[in-house]
Amino acid sequence: MAVYRRGYQRYDGPTTSHFARLMVMPRFSWERILGQRFVVILLVVSLFWPMLCAGFIYLSNHSELWQGFGGGIKKFLAINGNFFSIFMNVQSTFALILASVAGPGLIAPDLANNALPLYFSRPLTRWDYILSRMIVLLGILSLVTILPGMLLFGMQASIAGGDWFVHNWFLGTGIFIGFTLYIAMISLVAMASSAYVKWRVVAGALVLAFFFLLAGAAEMVNSIFRVDWASALNPTYAINAVWKGLLDVEIADDKPGAWECATVILGLSGGLLALLARKLRAVEVVK
Amino acid sequence: MTPYQQIWTIARLELGRVFFSKRSFWVYILAIFPSIIFLGHALEAGLKKRNWSADRVTSAATLNQVQTGMTDDQVLALAGKPISDVTRKRRIRRDDEDPDAEKQPEVRRYVMYFDGKKRVDLRFEDGKLVARNTHELMNFEDDRRVYATMFQFFYLRLGIFFGCLGIFINLFRGEMLDRSLHFWFLAPVKREVLLLGKYLAGLIAASLIFGTGALLSFLAMALPHDPTEVAAFWQTIGPGHAFWYVAAAGLGCVGYGSVFLAAGLLLRNPILPAIVMLIWESINGFLPDVMQKLSVLHYLQSLCPVPVPLPNDMPAVLKMLLAPAAPSSIPVAVLGLLAVTALVLFAAMQSVKRLEINYGTE
Repeated sequence: MAVYRRGYQRYDGPTTSHFARLMVMPRFSWERILGQRFVVILLVVSLFWPMLCAGFIYLSNHSELWQGFGGGIKKFLAINGNFFSIFMNVQSTFALILASVAGPGLIAPDLANNALPLYFSRPLTRWDYILSRMIVLLGILSLVTILPGMLLFGMQASIAGGDWFVHNWFLGTGIFIGFTLYIAMISLVAMASSAYVKWRVVAGALVLAFFFLLAGAAEMVNSIFRVDWASALNPTYAINAVWKGLLDVEIADDKPGAWECATVILGLSGGLLALLARKLRAVEVVK
Repeated sequence: MTPYQQIWTIARLELGRVFFSKRSFWVYILAIFPSIIFLGHALEAGLKKRNWSADRVTSAATLNQVQTGMTDDQVLALAGKPISDVTRKRRIRRDDEDPDAEKQPEVRRYVMYFDGKKRVDLRFEDGKLVARNTHELMNFEDDRRVYATMFQFFYLRLGIFFGCLGIFINLFRGEMLDRSLHFWFLAPVKREVLLLGKYLAGLIAASLIFGTGALLSFLAMALPHDPTEVAAFWQTIGPGHAFWYVAAAGLGCVGYGSVFLAAGLLLRNPILPAIVMLIWESINGFLPDVMQKLSVLHYLQSLCPVPVPLPNDMPAVLKMLLAPAAPSSIPVAVLGLLAVTALVLFAAMQSVKRLEINYGTE
């Protein structure tokens, strides 16, 4: 065929599996993110609390160590939904800081350097792109959330025995589902901020601002209107309420419940996904 | 041209960018958000009063007869239809082998009445009245306390903090990301002059936006209250309070602005100092006295005219650990903040003199 007749032809040879294509970006991103000194420091620091909790579990299961401390100590050392709820609260702070450092670098550079056409000209849809970027954060954030959470649950189950596990299996599923939901939410916030401002530095600030400002605004609405429903608009409170629901921990009567908060989180995530879908296009018209 | 004229020229050029850029939209929203909420509250209180006054007013004398220990049926028979009536049943929890769980009531009922001026909240547990609280629908003193809390916890700690982060980091780091900083460096001005010009632009914009926001929300807070009470307030302590709130907002911009401008120059990722500062300012009340004085917030809180009470729902352990330092006197607070700002700006000047542009690494 003459050279001038060789126009554009779509590649129709064999392609790698869908999963392999999804994992290409995480592979490179994980290497880059874990190469950052601050991320490594944060990962190490975030392991202190799980280690303390592990010590607590050990102490709780060895009653001979706290004999003679009175009856109140048994209640204080109980390993139940409350214990895991506090553990999850603390770890979520580290996850948030990690997301604000690692998250914005995922999409902003692609948008700022007009790299999206290069991605989308390959067998990768917009949703694949979003999913693979989420996998990056899921991998990093699960190191400080799901992994230590499940290890603590496993430790307690192995020390306390099968009977404890039979009665408290829901704590394990609660930790897993709760943290997965949280990671999905903060990943969406980080990616949407990154796509919205296009600057990595500003996007990091936006992730923090999103959580802190919404929390402040919700409290402000509560105190000015003398209500409690606005707490549901605080993403941190909302996810906490969902965790409490999953871990069967009591929520104050006058505060929004787990279902209301789950609905708010779903709505919020939908909005963030819509923003991402709007911003992530292979072609952009610059006016 | 004298350096002062140069500073003003640079500030004038920058002001347009700071005031009218797309990103400033969010700063405006941050600044006027409290005013919108206070106006909403005024509207809501007016509507509630109108609705409740129409057909569901229970006389104060009748409500005074309601005593703790009465059953819900007795109260309803005595006081009639309430303005709100919510019943909640206790959930049976999986870990209810806890002996304390049995002591919890099975059913809680929350009933509200309105006597034309005050709302009376009644809480029944298992059919018995256990708590009774009275709230005035509009209480000026209460609202001033709410404003003080909002100002210290939302406006200073979050609104001005993030607003200044957005405005001041943009001044240098934003120009680097836009690859336009070299145009400024090609102009025949000293870099220190450029820095001061940009800082002045950011400061004017931030102070104007947040100062106006603070004043507007203060006015919106006072708007729905009894005109005689409000007039008396404005004739006595009102102008002083308004002035110090606006001054605290302005000085907040001075302090946070200098820190974020320097962070944008000294570090490639200014988010890290922002995180550190946010954490530092958040745990401020738990630190020893001397360390509390190393924060911008301590001086700003010292300027606020109304002290903020501790939240009722704060856990006892936190209340025990919390030890706010005694507020600094006004001259110390103002001079302290200005001294810190001067020091930070001096460090930023030293940094900008050595700054080499390398857009490739951004």
